[in-house]
Amino acid sequence: MENQQNDTNIINSESRRKFVRGLSLLVGGTVATALVSGNSLSVAMAHSLKSQNLASEVLSNGKVFTLNQLKQLKSICAIVIPKTETLGAAEVNTHGFIDNQLFHCYEKSKQEKNKQLLTLIDIVANKLFSQPFIAIKQEQQFELLTELDLGKNNFDEKQRADFKSLKQLICFGYYTSEVGASQELRYLAVPGGYKGSIPYKNSDASWGSQGLYY
Amino acid sequence: MTENLYINDSKEVYDAIVIGSGISGGWAAKEFCERGLKTLMIERGRVVEHKKDYIGENKAPWQQPLRTKVDNLLVKEQHKIQQQCYAFTDATKHFFGNDKDLPYITLKDSNFTWIRANQLGGKSLLWHRQSYRWGEYDFKANKADGHGNDWPIRYQDIEKWYSHVEKHAGISGSKENLENLPDGDFLPPFEMNSPEKALQAKFAELYPDRPLIMGRTAHLTKPTKLHLSQGRVQCQARDECQAGCSFGAYFSTLSSTLPAAAATNNLHIAPNSVVHSLIYDENTNRIKGVRVIDNDDLSEREYFAKVVFVCASTIGSTQILMNSTSKRFPNGIANSSGVLGHYLMDHNYNAGASGDIEGFEDEIGRGRRPTGLIMPNFYYKPDAKRNFLRGYALAGSAYRESWQSVQHQDGLGVDYKNKLKQAGKWRFGLYAQGEMLPRFENKMCLHPTLKDKWGMPQIEFDCRFSDNETNMMLDAAEQAENMLKAVGLLNVSSGVTHGSPGLAIHELGTARMGIDPKTSILNGYNQSHDIPNLFVTDGASFCSSAVQNPSLTFMALTVRAVDYCVKEMNAKRI
Repeated sequence: MENQQNDTNIINSESRRKFVRGLSLLVGGTVATALVSGNSLSVAMAHSLKSQNLASEVLSNGKVFTLNQLKQLKSICAIVIPKTETLGAAEVNTHGFIDNQLFHCYEKSKQEKNKQLLTLIDIVANKLFSQPFIAIKQEQQFELLTELDLGKNNFDEKQRADFKSLKQLICFGYYTSEVGASQELRYLAVPGGYKGSIPYKNSDASWGSQGLYY
Repeated sequence: MTENLYINDSKEVYDAIVIGSGISGGWAAKEFCERGLKTLMIERGRVVEHKKDYIGENKAPWQQPLRTKVDNLLVKEQHKIQQQCYAFTDATKHFFGNDKDLPYITLKDSNFTWIRANQLGGKSLLWHRQSYRWGEYDFKANKADGHGNDWPIRYQDIEKWYSHVEKHAGISGSKENLENLPDGDFLPPFEMNSPEKALQAKFAELYPDRPLIMGRTAHLTKPTKLHLSQGRVQCQARDECQAGCSFGAYFSTLSSTLPAAAATNNLHIAPNSVVHSLIYDENTNRIKGVRVIDNDDLSEREYFAKVVFVCASTIGSTQILMNSTSKRFPNGIANSSGVLGHYLMDHNYNAGASGDIEGFEDEIGRGRRPTGLIMPNFYYKPDAKRNFLRGYALAGSAYRESWQSVQHQDGLGVDYKNKLKQAGKWRFGLYAQGEMLPRFENKMCLHPTLKDKWGMPQIEFDCRFSDNETNMMLDAAEQAENMLKAVGLLNVSSGVTHGSPGLAIHELGTARMGIDPKTSILNGYNQSHDIPNLFVTDGASFCSSAVQNPSLTFMALTVRAVDYCVKEMNAKRI
C-alpha cells in the first residue's frame, strides 16, 4: 500500500520538484534537468487528458496493412485489451504501433502471416454472421476471437498459434505505451534504489518498468 | 585536466602509450598518470563523453520509436553479429560496432561471435559488471590437470592489487569467507528478496558446500568519499546500465579511471586512431611507438613512447601483435615462442534450470536490481570421478512474473487485462557459467589476403567447445534441476543449449603469460619475454579462463603491471 501511494505521488508536480531537487544534489543541476526533462519521468508526470492526443483514428493505409485491415485490427485490439478505468489497446493506437513495428522489426513472412490471419477472421465472421468482423456485434467479436484463442470449432492449432503471436504484439504495444506502462501498470523511471520485498496485494498494479531489457 | 586532452598529431615521445580505453586501458592510463608519467591513450573509435553522450539513457519505451527494438534494416546492414549480444537494444546500439566495417572469418565447422565496442570507454560501457576475485585453485588449475601452461602467478601475487582496484571502482558484495572465492573490499551487497532468502537458507541446509550468495557487482550501493569525489553517486536501480549511467553508479572508464587520469594533467588521448602495428627498433630491441590509421580519413600517423601497454581487448591486442612483423619477428612481434593466437577461450553459458516458487504472493520487489545471485563454482577441487575437468558457477534470481509471461495464457477482454495487470507467480532459475579449457587448437590468425577498410588483415577464427565443455553443461543442467527440485521448486525444467564461443564476451588467451619464454608470450608481470618495454595486460594474457567473470582480474593484472613497469623504468632496466 505504502509503495502504491509513493509511486502515485511521484506523478504530482510537488514531488516532481522535490525529486529534481534531490537528483540535482546527487548528480548536479544540468544532469538532473537532462535526466528529467524530455524523459519518461516528465512525460509520465505531464500526462493529462488534453495531452493524450493518441491519434488512434484510422485514416489511411499503413505500412503493412490496408485502411480496412487497420480498422479490423483496431477492433481486435479493443476486444483483447478493452477500455476499463484506463484506456485500452485501441485507444492508445496499438494497431498503428503493430503496423509500424511489423514493418520495421519483423520479416516479410511474419507480416504476411498477420495479414492472412485478418483475412481468416473476416472469412469466419462472414460464415457465422454474414458480415465482416468490424460490422458484427462486440459480443460476437468476443465469441469469435475466443474460439480462435482456444483453437476451437472454426479454428485449428496453427491458427491459434498465429493469434497468440498477434496477442503478443498487442500486449507489447499496449504495455510499452505510456498509458499501459505508467497508468495501467506502475512505471518507475528512477527507482532510487532496490528493495527486495515490499507489500503487495492483488489489487495493486504490477510494474510496467520491469523486464524491458534496455 | 590538460588543456587539450585530445590530440591528433604529436611528435612528443611520451613516457607511456596505452593502446585501448576499455577496462584495462583505463586502469593503465590512470596508474601511469598518477605515478607522474606523461601518458598517451590511443583509442580506435570516437570520443564518448560521460553523461553527455549517453543518448539512449532514461528513455521510456514509449519514447523510443520502436519501443526498445532496433530496425531490421539497420540490423541487417550494420549489426548482424552485434545484435546477438543480450545488451544490444535501441538505447545501446550506438555503443556496438558496425559489422560492415568489422569483418572476420570463422573456419568451417567452427564458430566465434566477436562483439565490438570501438569508442572511448570501449566495453567498459557495456559490460555486465560482475566482479569476482579468482581463488588459489584457479591459478593452479592448469598445473593440476596439465591443460594449458601453469600461471606464473598465484593468488597472493595479485591479492593487494585486487584491493587497490576494488576500492576505487566500488564493488558491492557480501563477505562469505569461501575457500576459492576470496572476499574483497566490498561496498554493501544488494538486497535479496524474501524468496531468495528462503532459498538461500534451504540451500545452506541441504548443500552446505554450495552456498547461494548475492552477486558481486561494480555498482555503488553506498559510495565512499572517494567515489563521490569522482563525481559518482549511489546506484538508482534502473538496470539500464548499458545505455550509459549519468549517476556514474557503475564502474566504467568514463565514470571512474579516465577522470582520475585526466585530473593529473599527465593524460592525452588520441581518439579515432586505429593501431595498425607497433614500431620496433631491431638495434635496441625496443618498441619505439605505434603506427596508426585514422579512423575517418584513413591517413597514417605515428606516436612514440618509452613503453607500450597493449590493452586493445583480447583479440584486438593479439591482432596488433600479429600485424607487427620484422626480420626478427616474422610471425608477429614478441612471438618467438610461436604460441601467439593460440589457446583462445571464452566462458560457456549453455545450461540451466528453472521452476516456480510457491507462496510470497503478498510481496514484490521495488526497483531493478542490476545483479542476480550466484552459486560459486563448487567443483574447484579436481576430482577424477567427474567426466569433465574444471567447473562452473550457477547464477540466477527470483522474480515475479509480469505481463511478459502472463500474455501467453488463453483469454481476452477485461479478465485478461486484469490478469495482466497483476504480478504473476514467483520464479527462480539457475544458469551455468562454465570454464573453457585452454586448447592449442582454438586459435585466431591473420587472413593472408583479406583486409578491413583500415588495411588491417582480417581475423580468422578456428574455435569450438570440446567434449569437456559439453559434458560440463550436461552436468550443470542435471545438478541445477536436482537442486531446484530438492529445495522445493515446482514445475522444474532444465536444458542445454548450443551457443558458440564468443557470446559470453569473456574472450581470453592468445598471448598468454608463463614462466617459460619458449611456451608463452608474457612473463608474470604481463611483460613480453622478448621485448622489455612491451606489455599486454588485457584478457589476451590469460592462461586459463577459470569460472569467474574476468574483468576484475584485468584491472588487477593491469595495475600490477604498471607498478612493476614504472619500477623497472626507474631502475633503468626498461
